[in-house]
This record gives sequence, structure tokens and C-alpha cells, in this order.
Amino acid sequence: MTEQHTHTLGMHPPAPQVDEVSDYEILEIAVRELAIEHGLFTAEDHRRFTEWAERIGPTGGSRLIAKAWTDPAFKKRVMDNATEACKEIGIDWSEPTGFGTPSDYMNLRVLENTPKLHHVIVCTLCSCYPRPLLGMSPEWYRSTNYRRRLVRWPREVLAELGLIVPPDVEVRVEDSNQKCRFMVMPMRPEGTDNWSEEQLAEIVTRDCMIGVAMPKAGRTEDIRRPVHKARRPPQPATVQ
Amino acid sequence: MKDSDSNASETHARFKVGDRVRVKNMPLMFYTRTQNYARDIEGTIVELTYKDLVPEDEAFNFDGVLDQYYIIRFRQKDIWEEYPFENDTLQTESPDRWLEPVSH
Repeated sequence: MTEQHTHTLGMHPPAPQVDEVSDYEILEIAVRELAIEHGLFTAEDHRRFTEWAERIGPTGGSRLIAKAWTDPAFKKRVMDNATEACKEIGIDWSEPTGFGTPSDYMNLRVLENTPKLHHVIVCTLCSCYPRPLLGMSPEWYRSTNYRRRLVRWPREVLAELGLIVPPDVEVRVEDSNQKCRFMVMPMRPEGTDNWSEEQLAEIVTRDCMIGVAMPKAGRTEDIRRPVHKARRPPQPATVQ
Repeated sequence: MKDSDSNASETHARFKVGDRVRVKNMPLMFYTRTQNYARDIEGTIVELTYKDLVPEDEAFNFDGVLDQYYIIRFRQKDIWEEYPFENDTLQTESPDRWLEPVSH
């Protein structure tokens, strides 16, 4: 056994994100092909939906938060009925795609952070996420690592993602395990007093609305998490 | 989601905001959305959200009874005994039938 090998066995590194096709992705392809075969939807429908889902991104959420920060009356409407308030920024939860894919998920709650309370969202069952506002969830959000550890060790997981929450601030984990969808309203940071809505929207990144980062002046991008190459990637079939 | 031509009936909401409840620990039959970590744990109702089918019925396309759903707040220390922070909390949603009243 080499020295390096011994050393590796003595460590407990965090589980990396691995670049591999999962069983669920294979299952999705199989179910999708069956659904197309049985005429539930067409391949064209699927393409349009996928393109929509991959295109939207988190800008709707950013605009919602920026508007709420600058307009107290709008913020109140967000807190009273978030799905209704979304219509004011052009997002209709009942027809999120604009081409006839009605949504079951009409219960949005925006969770307001305060100096004494920090929210963070997770779906321990799968990948529930406020998609009309934030687009597709990041891969780490859907990983079992994040889902099973966030409920048990929230402060440690947040620290791994670069956010240290002071001990006197309550951390509240919101597990979206049924039909409500949640999004975090972070606190407006210092040094943004005379900013326009557009300027503010730039610093309300996706991670700030999941609750794993805090907005601040000058921070307009989320940190990319490293992805480890698969050690045993699927091998192509050998030609005989 | 409830269909407009559905025959589903509705149950009465047994709890109100502020009530103490315990998540039941019922046997797992095929499908549920009630997490293991919440079972047998006491929490507080913080919101009545909507009425809908329970996942155990909806997953199999059964036209069942519409249950009241609630958001429940738990103390992390009540879920994980050795959790080191007193004030931290966790919220999940649950239909009425998975809950029982806590009497002290």
C-alpha cells in the first residue's frame, strides 16, 4: 500500500459532486420515451418545455426581491399573496410557461429574513423548487448530500457553502415536502441606499434566494461549486 | 389537484394556528410524503395552507378526501436530541390525517 493510499483512508473528505449519469436520469428518459409513445405529449412539446425550463433562470426572483426592497406596498402584497404579486412582474403561476402547461403549485411563500432569523430552503424528498421564479435548481440542491444533511446539520452545510450564520441568529430550515413552494427574501445589504431596482436585482443571485448566500454590494455571481470527474465513468460497449 | 368534476369530499380542519400537534408514526404503505425525521415529533401549527388530496391517494390517482394542510414548526432540538443550538427551527407541511393533538 502506498503512503498516499494510507493517507487517503485516514481522511473523511466531504462527498463530492460526481459527474455521472444517475439512475434517475435514465429513469426519466425511459418514462419520457414511454409517454411520447403513448401519446401523452409529443417530442415537440417536450422540447419546447425543456427549452423554457432551461431558459428562465432566476431573474424573475431577483426582480421580485428588488421590487419588494424598494416598494413597501408591493412587499406587503408579496407577503399577503405571493402568487398574485408575481403577476405584477409578469409571472403567472397557473400558466408558468405561457403555452398551456397549467401548474399544480399555486402556493408560494416568500420567507423574509431578519437580523435575528435566517431561512434556507430544501426539498428532502426530491427537488421541489419555485421554478417559475428561479428556473431549474442547481445540481447540488437536488443532491442527496444537500437534502439529507441540510435538515440535520444546517449550519455546517451553510458554512461549506461559504455562509457562516452567527449563533444568535435563528436558522430556520424550510422543507418543501408538499405543494407549497418557498423562496427566501434576503435582507437588503448596506451600501445600496440609492440603487435602482435594476442595480439591486443584479446582487439578488439564485443562492441568496435559496438561503445559502447573502447579497452584498459588488457580489453579482454565485460561486461555482467544483464538480469531480467520475472515477468509473460508464464504458462504451466493446466492439467484437 | 382537485378536478372541477371531482367527487372528493373535504375534511374539517381540526387544528388552528398555535396548536401543538404530534406527527403520527403510521406504517409506510407504498407512498408517503411524511418524513421519517418528523414522526412522533411535536411541533406548532404556524399556517393553514390549502385543502388537497393526500399524497398516499394522489400518487395512485385515487379520488379521495381533501385534507387540510398545515405548515408545522419544530424545534431542531426536538427532532435531533444532540442538536447544539437552542433557537434553530425546521418547518414542513403535513395533511391533517398525519397529525394528532398534543394534550399536556
